[in-house]
Amino acid sequence: MPPTTSKDLDLLQGTLDLILLKALTWGPMHGYAVARWVAETTGDDLTVEEGALYTALHRLEKRALLSAEWGLSENNRKAKYYKLTPAGKRELTASADRFERYTRAVFKVLRTA
Amino acid sequence: MSMQSKFRRLFRFDNDHHDVSRAVDDELQFHFDSAVRDLMAKGANESDARRQAEARFGDVERTRSGLKAIDHARVSESRRIELLSNIAQDVRYAFRGLKRNPVFALAVITILALGIGANSTMFGIVDRLLLRAPKFLANADRVQRVYLSMMVNGSRVYLANSSYHRFHDLTDSSSTIEVAAAVWSPTLAIGAQNAREFRVTYATATYWQLFNIRPALGRFYAANEDTPTNAANVAVISYPWWQSEYGGADSVLGKTVRMGRLYYTIIGVTPKSFAGLGTETPIAWIPLSSGANNSFPGNGRTHWYETYGMNWLQPIVRRKPNVPLQTTNADLSHRFQQSYQASRVIEPSRASIESVKPFAEVSSILVARGPNRATEVKVAIWLVGVAIIVLLIACANVGNLMLARAIQRQREIAVRLALGISRSRLTLQILVESTVLALLGGAAGLAVTEWGGRLLRATLLPDLATTSSLSDIRTPLFTLCVAIAVGAITGLIPAWRSGRSSLALSLKTGGREGNYQRSRLRSSLLVVQSAMSVVLLVGAGLFVRSLHNLQSMRLGFDANHIVWVSPHMRGVALDSARQRVFYDELVRTAKQLPGVENASLGVSVPFATEWEEPLFVAGIDSVDKLGAFETQVVGPEYFQMMGTRIVSGRAIGVEDGRGTAFSMVVSESMAKKLWPGENALTKCVRIGADTNPCRAVVGLAEDIKSTSLTNREQWQYYVPRTQYDPGDVGELFVRVRGSATAEAERLRVALQKLMPGDSYLSAKSLDDVLDPGRRSWQLGATMFSVFGTLALLVAAIGLYSVISYTVAQRTREMGVRVALGAQSTDVVRMILRQSVALSGIAVVVGVAVALVASKWVEPLLFETSARDPLVYASVAGLLLLVALAAALAPALRAARVDASIALRSD
Repeated sequence: MPPTTSKDLDLLQGTLDLILLKALTWGPMHGYAVARWVAETTGDDLTVEEGALYTALHRLEKRALLSAEWGLSENNRKAKYYKLTPAGKRELTASADRFERYTRAVFKVLRTA
Repeated sequence: MSMQSKFRRLFRFDNDHHDVSRAVDDELQFHFDSAVRDLMAKGANESDARRQAEARFGDVERTRSGLKAIDHARVSESRRIELLSNIAQDVRYAFRGLKRNPVFALAVITILALGIGANSTMFGIVDRLLLRAPKFLANADRVQRVYLSMMVNGSRVYLANSSYHRFHDLTDSSSTIEVAAAVWSPTLAIGAQNAREFRVTYATATYWQLFNIRPALGRFYAANEDTPTNAANVAVISYPWWQSEYGGADSVLGKTVRMGRLYYTIIGVTPKSFAGLGTETPIAWIPLSSGANNSFPGNGRTHWYETYGMNWLQPIVRRKPNVPLQTTNADLSHRFQQSYQASRVIEPSRASIESVKPFAEVSSILVARGPNRATEVKVAIWLVGVAIIVLLIACANVGNLMLARAIQRQREIAVRLALGISRSRLTLQILVESTVLALLGGAAGLAVTEWGGRLLRATLLPDLATTSSLSDIRTPLFTLCVAIAVGAITGLIPAWRSGRSSLALSLKTGGREGNYQRSRLRSSLLVVQSAMSVVLLVGAGLFVRSLHNLQSMRLGFDANHIVWVSPHMRGVALDSARQRVFYDELVRTAKQLPGVENASLGVSVPFATEWEEPLFVAGIDSVDKLGAFETQVVGPEYFQMMGTRIVSGRAIGVEDGRGTAFSMVVSESMAKKLWPGENALTKCVRIGADTNPCRAVVGLAEDIKSTSLTNREQWQYYVPRTQYDPGDVGELFVRVRGSATAEAERLRVALQKLMPGDSYLSAKSLDDVLDPGRRSWQLGATMFSVFGTLALLVAAIGLYSVISYTVAQRTREMGVRVALGAQSTDVVRMILRQSVALSGIAVVVGVAVALVASKWVEPLLFETSARDPLVYASVAGLLLLVALAAALAPALRAARVDASIALRSD
């Protein structure tokens, strides 16, 4: 995977949190599983640098949108599992809504003439 | 266990830093291990897989440290929130507990209020005296007061004031001094009719250069308005005076106001919070030269700016930058020595320079911090120490009470510990409770401070500005800090213990066994506080004895029955014939007033003003070298009126008239000094010049205290007013039947009618004149007694509670003893013995400490040994008595123990 440019980052800043919150709606996941899910879901359309992904996870934890707990992974290793908090769920709904309105508005502009 | 690890354990300081870092490392390790494993499963070899995983991740190390930073922030924030919510919960819990046990709460708050209040009161005073530098000083670190000293009878004596001539000798074109100013702040009668006296500062024009201020209105005066030959009668008034007298109007500029003998034009107003250099803000500042003309009109022969004999001003300097202190001192001392030589040329009777060793030094602008501080200040500093001891006693006591409660709650605490509450949580809870108590105590203490401080300033320290201690933030802030410290100290004592107690034992025994032995900590706290109260009571005893010695000392006159009435002549010039008529009329009118026994004139006033003339006695080279001889010019009945006894010969009376032979009365020790071993009666003294006619000694009077209460070497002589003309100087002494302090104002009003023109009278009792000289002992005796009693009371409460507690703890033991045939008197005796033993140790320790401290207190006492056995013995006796009294009630309670009930309990 090529190193991300700053243009990619601009895209990520607004949406990475949203993607991560969405990822965790499937249930508690550790960081690696989140990274894999993001890569598989977005395919080649979005390049998410994993370091940025962890940073975002920790920030969300600090904002109490996620909670974290140590548990055992599929192959019996200690891993840090992230889980949506009620506040995280509310934030996901709100910002998904915001994002939709935003993109709709941008498309509207792009489609004119 | 080491102190530090104990402390750590007490508070359970988790090593958050370490844990957070480990967690991030583990998380990333897991990530890379998983990624490498998956890549290898797809066929990559290990090193390729690792490289790919890292490439996908980005800058690993930067991310790692970024994650750690985020997590640190998160953990400390949540800790903070947790702590705050715990504290809030504990505060509620503490208040509930206090409401449940109001007697305990009230006792603790009262004890702490007194302890904290004592400290805040002393802080308020010491802050004013010692800590608060004058405001607005420019380059304050270089602005200092000049202190002059000389050797007199083998000890260094500081001169309170300097002469104008000396001031210029010291500072003119100095290489070490940037600004030299001189000040004096006397009181002047302000206004024409119904004049009242207010403080006014005479200051050189250079004074204004010491400050970084601009006038609120108008201007300050300049150097050319402040010379002996051109002294402008202009005044800069203070902001408060401008507001109260002139309503803050701009039209004040150019108005004239009478101050003392002269009229002054107002040219400016100082800024709002400018207070000058002293503790009291004057109402106005006038040029030094004009002030001197006002106060010292002179007799046409000597001028205030020429003589070295009139010492009235205080030099203030700002040193040049980068000139060391020693250089300035050396320069000033050198100049002082030259100046002294110059003054000896004019006044050859002065002692030689080798014997007086003139020395000048610069030191703090605050007189209380300078080398010549007043005894009151030294006593006040001692009282600060005393207040701290009172607070320590209060802390020990409150700690003891809290400890008793902690022990009562031992079972509860053990249960909570067993149920999993962490020790740090428990410690926090105890600390919160003690801090709540201390803050409540501090708030009450502030009330004590406000009330006590007002009382103290009014009665014992009237020179201090009489503002409220709450007028600025300093005292409340100090009180808050002390309260927090007290909360920590009193909370840590029981917290320490609860951390130590054995869980299993407490649970098993229900907090009964094992306690008796552990009350050792309480006993030692008790011994410490009793010992400290012994020290304070010894101090109180010493000062009370000093004050008693002072009050029973014979002054040589009846201060409490004599009013000093002083005429201030203004705007009238009486010739000597009319002066005589005026003064005779004053005496005659005074004698006829109701309540007056007698009245007479004088020129010297004990502890206020003195009159001196050169003396010449056949066979003595220089009388002046023997000491200072004070002249009193008296009317008939003077001695009878003052209450001064005639020891031999006769008093001055009506027979000493204008035409009769010149006569005088000398004091006993003056006679001994001039004619040792001879009969002084009929000896001859010439006054003023050796060509003047001979005066025969007709009587010897007892010595009087006239300049200092401690100095024994004081000499007076008395001449009849009919045979000696003191010009327009006349001080009226009136003997009243009642209290002179109460009668003074009535006399002033009654006699004011006789005053010509704008002249006015001031009147006060000699007792009030003497008061400043007695103040340090009054201060010491009062405050040491208050603090000592407080300490004793607190110690007694402590003793009572400890003895009661041990009695309660030993009920079962008592029951066994009684069951085995012990008499109730045996039980009482056993309990009393315990109390007396504790106090006995405290007495020994306290007396030892007091004896060590005594050598520093001795100089502050008045004719009292700091090892006065009577004081020590009474204090020891008192403490033992109090110990017996405090133990009596619990002992009697123990004696009533019913064996069968005691043995069945619990």
